[in-house]
Amino acid sequence: MEKMPRVLVVDDDSDFVESLRMILENRSYEVITAYDGVEGLRKAKEESPDLIILDVMMPNKDGYAVCHELKADPEYNSIPILLLTAVASNIPTTKYTQRMGMEIEADDYIDKPVAPSELAKRAEALLQ
Amino acid sequence: MLNDAKILVIDDEAVIRDGCARILTKEGCRVKTVENGEAGLDLIRTEDEPFDILLLDLMMPGISGMEVLDAVSRIDQALSVIVITGYATVESAVDAMKGGAYDFIAKPFTPDQLRIVVERALERKSLLKEAENLRNEREKSLRDVADEKSRITTIINCMVDGVLVTDRESRIVLHNPAATRLLGIEGLQIIDESLRRCINNEDLARAVTEALDTEKSRYVEISQEITSSEESGKVFLRTNTAPVLNEDGETMGSVTVLHDITQEKQINDMKSDFLTMVSHELRAPVSAIQQQLSVIEEGMAGSITEKQARMLTRAKERTTGILDLIKDLLDVSKLDSGIVVQHKESTVLQDILEKVCQLMEPEAEAKGIRLNLETSDHLPLVNADRENMEDVFINLISNAIKYNVEGGGVTVSVLSHGEFLRVDIADTGIGIPKKDLPRIFDRFYRVKNPETRTIIGTGLGLPIVKSIIEAHHGSISVKSREGEGTTFTLLLPRISE
Repeated sequence: MEKMPRVLVVDDDSDFVESLRMILENRSYEVITAYDGVEGLRKAKEESPDLIILDVMMPNKDGYAVCHELKADPEYNSIPILLLTAVASNIPTTKYTQRMGMEIEADDYIDKPVAPSELAKRAEALLQ
Repeated sequence: MLNDAKILVIDDEAVIRDGCARILTKEGCRVKTVENGEAGLDLIRTEDEPFDILLLDLMMPGISGMEVLDAVSRIDQALSVIVITGYATVESAVDAMKGGAYDFIAKPFTPDQLRIVVERALERKSLLKEAENLRNEREKSLRDVADEKSRITTIINCMVDGVLVTDRESRIVLHNPAATRLLGIEGLQIIDESLRRCINNEDLARAVTEALDTEKSRYVEISQEITSSEESGKVFLRTNTAPVLNEDGETMGSVTVLHDITQEKQINDMKSDFLTMVSHELRAPVSAIQQQLSVIEEGMAGSITEKQARMLTRAKERTTGILDLIKDLLDVSKLDSGIVVQHKESTVLQDILEKVCQLMEPEAEAKGIRLNLETSDHLPLVNADRENMEDVFINLISNAIKYNVEGGGVTVSVLSHGEFLRVDIADTGIGIPKKDLPRIFDRFYRVKNPETRTIIGTGLGLPIVKSIIEAHHGSISVKSREGEGTTFTLLLPRISE
């Protein structure tokens, strides 16, 4: 049997992490979790996940910083990162300005909360 | 000429008195006669309306003509005296003239001679009066100017806002205490000094130069936020600078009003901190709830009944509503505090447009829409805030794609348009109904019809766009035909070379 893809979910909201875990486990992924940026970074390095789903707004170290550190490290920069954005705006402005303003380091973005099927689709695409 | 002049004749000879009265009355004068000096002086003192001319005999019984002349000069200096000399002796006439008489006439005289001498005296009198009026008027207007000046000084000195006026060479010619206080140069003597030299603020100096360089008859107002440091700390100022034009529309100088917005800024910061807090603290649990609901709804936490599924769908709709509301709240706060043009610089707008078009390409492609950018070389530069402009074009182009039809097109064209750079964003979309057109720049206004129902938006995009364009002294207009498409036209003032 093929090895289950391992997904690291990093979010400070444990309920949210739990929901994502259910969605992903339902799709037969192995899920490991972390509850802040520092822990997320450590687990990303220790557990060599196949995909990281990373929340942006977190205590200690935010998602951008974690993303930046991993992408700057040649050992880990191949791990795809799906950034969970909760930047509230349905004006396209904020999102795009952000993208233009900084280098697009994450491999994909998705707004919280996410539709389960959409999350699965994005995760699958990044794991290809 | 002699009309209505009021004349007094003092002579002891009845022939002369009657003769004068007859001749002058015929000319339209009002004549009174008395036979001695005492009676004459009484009349001069008591008459309500002063006499214009006194015909005075020098040789009279009682007090002499010379004494009367002397007294008259003390009672009414404006009264012109013509002496009548009995013996045609030049000496007495000369004495009288030295004593203040204006003219003399020798007895015996003809009616014409009398008329001439009276006429001449009246003429002089009216000239004197005119000169006097002119002098009074001039004094009054000088007084008015002084009053006006002191009034202006009082007004601007009472103002809480700073006022700074420069001449054409950007030397300071007028300011109030608030201005020096806000700029942190209290107590310095800055009148007649060059603005750049005595006020260490590049943004302000640039705005003044820009206002002074404005082309003839074109009124502009440059509004910006600057910071300066005062003893008590950093001060945020909103400044408005405009040229002062004379009647011919030529720039005579500039005026700048400085408004302290430090407190507003602090409150705004607090507000935005609060809103960030709300967004995180409120949004996080609601979005966690929504996430949990969708997990249950899709049966990932065990199978559910159809009835439960229906209720979960409803519950999710409600949490979606709350999340939208939180988004709106944050968008409003962005609109209230966000439109600040701080980094205006000389900008090649085509570069921004190219980048934005590139960015929007995937979105257009997904809807099968052709996105074209039409531009040419040698287009004028504009003074713009890059980030603001990106916002504007992302908004407009994104709308043009969203409200388009499958297989439609969006054309963005840039061209020089007189004093302006013009950008047209034209789509072949669903168009905007005529009744909705006037309101599309209003906050929270969305065109509601079956075609737009599925399109997400709060209705805040266009008001933001408009605010930004206006903050750049530009304008935005829209033309639309239902079913054919919409064209937004932006005009931004070009930088004059």
